[in-house]
Amino acid sequence: MNFAIKSITEQRDFVVSSSSLKEVRSFSREVFEKVNINQDLKDELVLAIAEAAQNIVKHAYQGEDTDDKMEIKISLENGQLEIGFFDKGRPVEEKNVRHRKIDDIKPGGLGTFFIQQIMDAVVFKEGEKPWINHLVLTKNLNA
Amino acid sequence: MSYKVTEEGNISTVHLDGEIDMDVTEKAKEIIMPLIEAKKEVHLNLKEVQYMDSSGISVLIESHQKATELGTKVILKDISKSVLKVIMMAKLEQILNLD
Repeated sequence: MNFAIKSITEQRDFVVSSSSLKEVRSFSREVFEKVNINQDLKDELVLAIAEAAQNIVKHAYQGEDTDDKMEIKISLENGQLEIGFFDKGRPVEEKNVRHRKIDDIKPGGLGTFFIQQIMDAVVFKEGEKPWINHLVLTKNLNA
Repeated sequence: MSYKVTEEGNISTVHLDGEIDMDVTEKAKEIIMPLIEAKKEVHLNLKEVQYMDSSGISVLIESHQKATELGTKVILKDISKSVLKVIMMAKLEQILNLD
């Protein structure tokens, strides 16, 4: 596939708040506008990014008001998309991050399921100072 | 998100407009839940909803379950392509009332 541009790296900081999610989506859409992938895939990637940002607000900060910022970094290199999320909230333990059973119909627990459906890999890392958490989402756009 | 509610007999139609995310779910619930609690049949018109995330889907599930509990129903009408895609990703097309 021809991605229009071979390489891209863009990052932006957002206040950790549900009111920032609209800006997160705008930023993501701006970046993917530069990439030659179909609109459905762009929409899915924007959803995955927004869900991951929402998880930082909901879980790493447990919905508390804060002036802290989170950083989102979108990189594309030869069709390999990597999206990094950095935050200073409570340490996230990977074993505690799981979506609900999809046939257990109840509100909540779908964001992580959506991310896993859309992306190839979801990796939680310990953040390097000053960050506490570093989440990495990857997807091979050549596939 | 903006909205408009119209009433016809026992049917309340809520026209939602815009993007439905975590930031507006409380507002959406404040609009929809009292109608369900009044045992209205609630039609959610989603034609002008361009984006919905897992929080929005949770509102749909919660509304559906509350309506079922109270013996009424919530029907999703004119669902936009982007919202339908998320409903299907959540495997809810057989659970929620889609029209």
